[in-house]
Amino acid sequence: MATPDEKKLDVDKLPWLGRKLLWLDHAKSADRLIYGLIGACAVLFLADFFYKKKTYIDLEDVPGFYAIYAVGICLVIVLCARAMRAILMRDEAYYAPKDVEIEVYPEHDMERKNFDD
Amino acid sequence: MIDFFPPFLIFILGAIALPLIPNTSARAAVSLIVPIISAYLIWHLPTGIYGQVPLAGWELTLLRVDKLAVVFGLVFSLAAFLALIYAWHVRDLVQQVAALLYAGSAIGAVFAGDLITLFIFWEGTAIASVFLIWARKTEGAFHTGMRYLVIQITSGVILLGGVALLYRETGSIAFDKMTLGSLATWMIFVAIGIKCAFPFLHNWLPDSYPAATVTGTVILSSFTTKLAVYALARGFPGTEILIYIGAVMALFPIFYAVIENDLRRVLAYSLNIQLGFMVVGVGVGTELALNGTAAHAFVHILYKSLLFMAVGAVLFRTGTSKATDLGGLYKTMPLTMVFCLIGAASSAAFPLFSGFVTKSLILSDTVKEGHYIVWGILLFASASVVFHSGVKVPYFAFFGADSGKCPKEAPTHMLIAMGLTAFLCVGIGIFPAPLYALLPFDVSYQSYTTTHVITQLQLLFFAALAFTLLLRRGIYPREVKSINLDTDWIYRRFLPGILVRVNSTVSNLWMVAGWFVGRKLQRIVSGLYSSHGPEGRMASVWPNGAMVLWIAVILGATLVVNFV
Repeated sequence: MATPDEKKLDVDKLPWLGRKLLWLDHAKSADRLIYGLIGACAVLFLADFFYKKKTYIDLEDVPGFYAIYAVGICLVIVLCARAMRAILMRDEAYYAPKDVEIEVYPEHDMERKNFDD
Repeated sequence: MIDFFPPFLIFILGAIALPLIPNTSARAAVSLIVPIISAYLIWHLPTGIYGQVPLAGWELTLLRVDKLAVVFGLVFSLAAFLALIYAWHVRDLVQQVAALLYAGSAIGAVFAGDLITLFIFWEGTAIASVFLIWARKTEGAFHTGMRYLVIQITSGVILLGGVALLYRETGSIAFDKMTLGSLATWMIFVAIGIKCAFPFLHNWLPDSYPAATVTGTVILSSFTTKLAVYALARGFPGTEILIYIGAVMALFPIFYAVIENDLRRVLAYSLNIQLGFMVVGVGVGTELALNGTAAHAFVHILYKSLLFMAVGAVLFRTGTSKATDLGGLYKTMPLTMVFCLIGAASSAAFPLFSGFVTKSLILSDTVKEGHYIVWGILLFASASVVFHSGVKVPYFAFFGADSGKCPKEAPTHMLIAMGLTAFLCVGIGIFPAPLYALLPFDVSYQSYTTTHVITQLQLLFFAALAFTLLLRRGIYPREVKSINLDTDWIYRRFLPGILVRVNSTVSNLWMVAGWFVGRKLQRIVSGLYSSHGPEGRMASVWPNGAMVLWIAVILGATLVVNFV
């Protein structure tokens, strides 16, 4: 049974902007966004050949240096993060009860409401 | 004599007045007026030294007005104003008073002309701010608040110790540029470093910020750490070690931010990274770098507040800020999502957003001054923003796998606060000149050059593409309900564990020693009992008889001796 939070969306009651963005839910939207991102990346990479770059170190003169550096950084981050998680990850209740991690957020400091309430 | 009204006083007066006002919107409105008056006062303060007050043989300077103090004073007032709009719904007097006293203390510290005044306001920020954590009113928040308070007060005690030593060395309590060397200056440096979340002194930040109330975290994110950045810029500009400390600060929290599940803690680690940029700027110490630090602190307060506001609004409506429990909220909270994206774009230093026009000041000067490795690290940190506040936070909260939650859009006052903050983030990004005019030094800097725009876009778009592909391939660490051990494990688990073991070892030793000594004593007592007890040999004769016998022996011996 659906919880109050998980009831079916009544699209007509969604905020105007929410309705306009519903296309993001379509199966192919994510693919289109990724193709768009790849296209933008290609344009930005090629742009390096069409202007005079003002640089401080020689490495920056390599076409697409910032693009290559960004991708390299991402791989390093993900690999290091996975390794760190293997060592450092613990159960949420590790420090309980002297920690807020597994506590339910107090109702007195929130106003739980659904969009169609 | 007080020549000008010190801006911090208006906050104290406001805090005193609040309990007298009915607990309605009227109280929220009065608290909102306070930062407006403060900003007005700061804007009209002429440069100079004012408000000198004699105290215990010293002359305290309540108001030292220069461009560095003014830019921080103004942004603190602005941050307080925006946060108080966001907190319009709060009817908790403790939080309302704490917010005013906290902001007032931070502003008081910024204008402090001497180290004693700085210390007083330094402790003021610590004591006032902890109530924003305790206001959550849970056991976990109480313990977290206690940890936070101990660390913050420790910072103040170290500061006071340093000030006392410095006074003994130099006979001065002036809060001016210092050179590291003596114990006194190192103590002051470490005290500031604790509040600035230097590596290994940073744990209080990701520990406490996610534990505060929805509005408390927004307020906390603005003052303490930026006050510390100001104190470094004032006291230790050009101190080389800060370049390396800042580089480490900008680097290691990245990995924590990537694997963290609670989005408010992700933002706390992200805040720590941005502090690293500012600390590097102070370390480089040139006019351009110090301008970069002040400017980045200014915009960072705004966009980080905006991000905390957006995640706070989600928490306010759903009761959670964990990535594992969220997703797909863009349909029902679209405005909050848009504001979150603006905060994320500013944080990522996307062109036309505020971070773009300030972060580059620090990066440019770092490479110009020949700190190439540090520059490479800062570039690393710039691209990594995509992996935390830039894409991760909006993605997991508003997009990603649909959580099935359908919360209502954030309340109007929260949307107004977020809207104003977002407007400033975009406004500064497009027209940075008014912000540049506020900076401490007159330096002409052009942030929108072809090179800068294209290289920054390359960095961000390729990082975003890598993030997307790694996520789709399942290589990006998936969000799981967990915590990750940070160096606070040392004082939360390791040291208490050692204490427990020491306690148990000492108890065991005590037991063994007690048993051993007891056994020996028992033997002695038993021996005495067997010889002197009712059945013992010594009791075989009556005491009177034995005495007479011994007297007779002694007399006999005396006679023999005399006779001989």
